[in-house]
Amino acid sequence: MIKVVNDKNFNEEIADSDNIVVVDFWAPWCGPCKMLTPVIEELSNEMGKNVTFAKINVDESPIVASKYKISSIPTVMVFSKDTVKETMVGFRPKADLKKIIEKHL
Amino acid sequence: MSERYDIAIIGSGPAGLSAALNAKIRNKKFIIFGSKDFSTKLVKAHKINNYLGFYGKSGAEIKDEFASHLEAMDISITQEKVNNVYAMGDYFALMINEKMYEATSIILATGVNFGKPFKGEEEFLGNGVGYCATCDAPLYKNKIVTIIAYDKKEEDEVNFIATVASKVYYIPMYKEEVQVDSSVEIIKDIPVEIVGDEKVTKLILKNTQLITDGIFILRESVSPGQLVPGLIMDGNHVGVNRNMKTNLDGCFAAGDIVGTPYQYIKSAGEGNIAALSAVAYVDQQKRK
Repeated sequence: MIKVVNDKNFNEEIADSDNIVVVDFWAPWCGPCKMLTPVIEELSNEMGKNVTFAKINVDESPIVASKYKISSIPTVMVFSKDTVKETMVGFRPKADLKKIIEKHL
Repeated sequence: MSERYDIAIIGSGPAGLSAALNAKIRNKKFIIFGSKDFSTKLVKAHKINNYLGFYGKSGAEIKDEFASHLEAMDISITQEKVNNVYAMGDYFALMINEKMYEATSIILATGVNFGKPFKGEEEFLGNGVGYCATCDAPLYKNKIVTIIAYDKKEEDEVNFIATVASKVYYIPMYKEEVQVDSSVEIIKDIPVEIVGDEKVTKLILKNTQLITDGIFILRESVSPGQLVPGLIMDGNHVGVNRNMKTNLDGCFAAGDIVGTPYQYIKSAGEGNIAALSAVAYVDQQKRK
């Protein structure tokens, strides 16, 4: 399952989570984001027990997008509490993302 | 959903063409992307004496031989520029502006004409530096954007960004006359270095400096690692094994892109190997 997060519920869903949270910053006009969506879905099916997956539409969440200086999408960030552990800019194949996320488990 | 090809070949130099012949002989459903002149390097070659069977011919003459060979085998080249290739797991998605193709396997044969990055370019990639203006333009709403372009074709992109950004500087790296929206400021100068702290702050040129929030660099072809996210490079070339396989399953590479020597017959030989490896991969996937 992928949580839909925005400016309003960002803190409660991410900063207060006990799990590490993988956040996909996306927008509807971004082609590579569309390609990444099924990859993130597959990962959430495989790793969803230990990792929370979330997505943020940067058009609708300008505060979070500017706080984390998103200047290219898709960007995937791995959060532990409110700390960014990893930032990946651009599309990545599933195996690459998985390996990077597993480092933080 | 569009039909899925067995093999998509990107590039129409000797490596790509040789791969296409072998894909055809093996009856695979394939598509080859490239240009009608096949390869600008080939057309420009004065005399070629080290391609077996073609003594004393010029590049242009060999190009004509290639053309009649392809015609005899009923192979046609799709004249479209592949912007990105995404490894989706059991297939690849090839993006061409708004269009998408799917292929079970791909062969990269784009040569080595992606140019050297500017100082600071790789450091700030994703932090203000980008290669796809239309993809990230909305993130630069009301900000200052600088575009460096190597082809007149990119002027449409420039005009599009001008509708979003508060200010657009345009640095044309080609000789043709520049025709862009009047709100765009044209800078005729040579970029030297991209600087910033966490993000891009300015572009230093030979004679001036530009304060800017973002820089888009629009080259004829991007480096293989940009073209196929996740592809592992070996220095400036794509890393492959003896079967021309890259680190991504189903992705093969051939020709100059995999390393020196940069020679026609070496490229053609590698294209042959890559095609046969791709055929074997596709057959294996189908048995699954």
